Amino acid sequence: MKIIAVTACPTGIAHTYMAAEQLEKTAKKLGHSIKVETQGAMGIENELTAAEIAAAEVVILAADIAIERPERFDLTRRVKVPVQSVLRNPEAIFAKL
Amino acid sequence: MPLKRQFICRLPNGVHARPASSLEEAARGFSSELILFNERTGRTANSKSVLSIISADIRFNDRCLLTVSGSDEREAMAALTTFVETTFPECDEVASPSPELNGTFHLPHSLRRSSVKIFNGVPAVSGVGRGCLLQMDGFKVPVTLRLTQPDDIAAEAQMLEGALQKLGGDYEQRLALAKKEVEKEIIKAHSAIARDPEFRNFLFKAVKLHSRTVAGAITDAERHFSGILAGTDNALVSERISDIQDVCVQLIRQAYGDAAAGVAEPSLKTDTIVMAETMTPSQFLSLDRAFLKGLVLGHTGATSHTIILARSFGIPTLTGMRDLAGAQLVEQEAIIDAYAGALLTNLTDEAMRYYALECHGRSERQARVQRFALQPATTKDGCRIEVAANIASAEEIAGAFAAGAEAIGLFRTEMLFLDRKAAPSEEEQFELYSRVVVAAKGRPVIMRTLDVGGDKALGYLNRPVEENPFLGCRAVRLYRGCEEMFRDQVRALVRASARGALKVMIPMVAVPEEVRWVRKIISEEQSRCLAQKVPFDAQMPLGAMIEVPAAAFAMDALGAELDFFSIGSNDLLQYFMAADRTNAQVSSLYNPLEPAFLRFLKQIADHAQAHEKWLGLCGEMGGQAQFLPLLIGLGINEISVPTPALADLKAEMSALKLVDCQNLLGRALGCATADQVAGLIGNFVAANAQPLIDSELILINADARTREEAIQVAVNRLYGLGRTKNSRAIEEAVWEREQTYSTGFGHGFAIPHCKTNSVLASSLVLVQLRAPVNWDSLDGQPVRVVILLAVREADGANGHMKLFARLARKVMNEDFRARLEAEKDPEKLCEFLHAAIDP
Repeated sequence: MKIIAVTACPTGIAHTYMAAEQLEKTAKKLGHSIKVETQGAMGIENELTAAEIAAAEVVILAADIAIERPERFDLTRRVKVPVQSVLRNPEAIFAKL
Repeated sequence: MPLKRQFICRLPNGVHARPASSLEEAARGFSSELILFNERTGRTANSKSVLSIISADIRFNDRCLLTVSGSDEREAMAALTTFVETTFPECDEVASPSPELNGTFHLPHSLRRSSVKIFNGVPAVSGVGRGCLLQMDGFKVPVTLRLTQPDDIAAEAQMLEGALQKLGGDYEQRLALAKKEVEKEIIKAHSAIARDPEFRNFLFKAVKLHSRTVAGAITDAERHFSGILAGTDNALVSERISDIQDVCVQLIRQAYGDAAAGVAEPSLKTDTIVMAETMTPSQFLSLDRAFLKGLVLGHTGATSHTIILARSFGIPTLTGMRDLAGAQLVEQEAIIDAYAGALLTNLTDEAMRYYALECHGRSERQARVQRFALQPATTKDGCRIEVAANIASAEEIAGAFAAGAEAIGLFRTEMLFLDRKAAPSEEEQFELYSRVVVAAKGRPVIMRTLDVGGDKALGYLNRPVEENPFLGCRAVRLYRGCEEMFRDQVRALVRASARGALKVMIPMVAVPEEVRWVRKIISEEQSRCLAQKVPFDAQMPLGAMIEVPAAAFAMDALGAELDFFSIGSNDLLQYFMAADRTNAQVSSLYNPLEPAFLRFLKQIADHAQAHEKWLGLCGEMGGQAQFLPLLIGLGINEISVPTPALADLKAEMSALKLVDCQNLLGRALGCATADQVAGLIGNFVAANAQPLIDSELILINADARTREEAIQVAVNRLYGLGRTKNSRAIEEAVWEREQTYSTGFGHGFAIPHCKTNSVLASSLVLVQLRAPVNWDSLDGQPVRVVILLAVREADGANGHMKLFARLARKVMNEDFRARLEAEKDPEKLCEFLHAAIDP
């Protein structure tokens, strides 16, 4: 499955990156392709391109705050989850995709 | 025919005790009646009575009428007119508030939902103390004393007169013995009340006309004058109530003796926090300060004499604590937290552990800073720059050297000249200057000759009012007009030069002629000493402040007459930019980072170096860390700062390299705007900040019983290492983040974090706990390892954030976590973390 994701947390110091790592690890384990954009204290990193967004089957929005430029995903199937659930049980999220 | 004159009160805080005493001093010498009428309140006051002036309740912009009648009415009116027009507006000096605190201090998080009882007050002197609560009464006449119907009215009046006289003598004696300036001030104020004509009249009237005993008269007087002061609604005035009460207690003592008066103060036998509705300064001084751990006061305000004393002795103090009497607190164990403004009782184990831990952190920090303080100041690459202290009194000198001063870079002699009726005598000055240079034990002391004018006026010089005092007859420009007074100072300095390493510095020099004239006076006085066989140091160095821009362009001609220069950065910047920093509309121009000003400083420094003249700096610029790299880059010989800034200055200097500072200055000189310079400094500071990880930031086997304690332990370490000055603010920021959801992410790990400027260098603290604590973790498991990420907000999105992000990713890895938990050697853990996140 071609998956993209965005992570963002209140301070942008820790959980944004912890969640990104967790999503990447789990996707790999389950045999999916994934690219995770982080919106943390350093701003947007590993930014998703228009082509990647267009090609994706689903976008996971793991955010506790409003993300930047959400309109990019208007045409993509969106799954919104709290950051905590990514840390607690990532496989359950993938199972529901 | 009485003379009348109208004026408007221009004192922002109104006529409280201090301006009232000045007015009384100006009026006292005349035999005429001097009546003051406040048109707003309709109250009339006798200008020779401080109490009477105060109770007229004259406030800002009140219109007043002064009526003078008597044999010397013309002279009196002339003197009072000058006083009201020139001296009066400058009488208003409000005591400085509590020492500078960095931001807000919160109550510890763990106390908010505990059973500890919290009483809120206003912090007046910061600090924390623990002890037993003791209630102390304010003014109270012992019940054993008869108040009315004396046996013999004439004898009673005589007894009153005797008590007043003895009290006056007692104040004089105590004044001679008092060491601290604040103590002297207070004794003077009390002595003024004791001889106040209104106060005396009231007392004698009560005895002679109303058949009161001395005790009864004093009781009435206390009630009467306290009532008037309380009714003024002016906080500064009502704070003087404790002064009146103090005088009344003393008077009872004088009349009836200590024992009969039964007003003995409690003697403290164990650590104690004293509660009182009001406390008189004498009551405060009678308490054994070895056991006095805190003061909790009802009515006393921040400028009262008791608070000023408490501050000078460092006793944590809260005010505005009402209704404590009903709380039945006496003899309970309590903690006073005068950072957060609270008194805590019903202490829990948790609360006591919190404060004990915090106290431990503070002493750890002190020990560390003290190590720097007592070493010579050098940069990391070994460049020596003398670090000296700015002081204004002999009392400060021991503290300055204990805090690490290598010299006294500025002794402000004008403090001795201010707030008095006539200039100090040569002997008084000689005694003070000698005391200072002897106490300096051979270390150099730069004594600046009288620097008044501008914002500091001396009433006894009778100077005309100037349109623009800062461009007027200030400092050296004043000396010719009062040559005898200046010669007294020079003689005192010349004589004191035999006692130690004394250097003399002239303020506000603009042209060489001024220096030549001062030099001539010094030579003449030295010759006179020689003739009279009075010892002096013939080599006594003479220098000048560089604070008038013209002096900076005349350093060659000035240098021919002088041995050294010291930059007075405050005035130099204000004159250079033609901007008054207290004027909000132009104060942004008063910026030491303006490239033009930096180029100006560079020119001064270059000139001094080329001509091998010693160059110091004694302005506020020296005490602020952000300017330090630029000052080091300039290559000046000495930086002189207020005592509390000494140790930090040395610590900060030891982390900087001369070459880096020179490079930074070079780039700053090329900038177009102050903002660009600030940007350069920001990057420089970030690049030179303490490293993110350090083996000292790793705690193994830490003792913490709760999540709160674990966070405190980690934050406390930041405090101990000087990475924050306000650990409470960091704890608060961490807890704010914890409130959204727990940072215990499972597997026995928690990653609390915050972004705040209260942390001075972004830091990672790793804590392995001795026993796991509950963290409301995502997986419900207790936490064994805590990783605190404290990000300095001003760092923005720079390199450190990348490392934190990398670490956040790594902790999701099981092997990585296992290693963080298994390794018990801080050095090795530090290396491991480095390799993992900063390869």
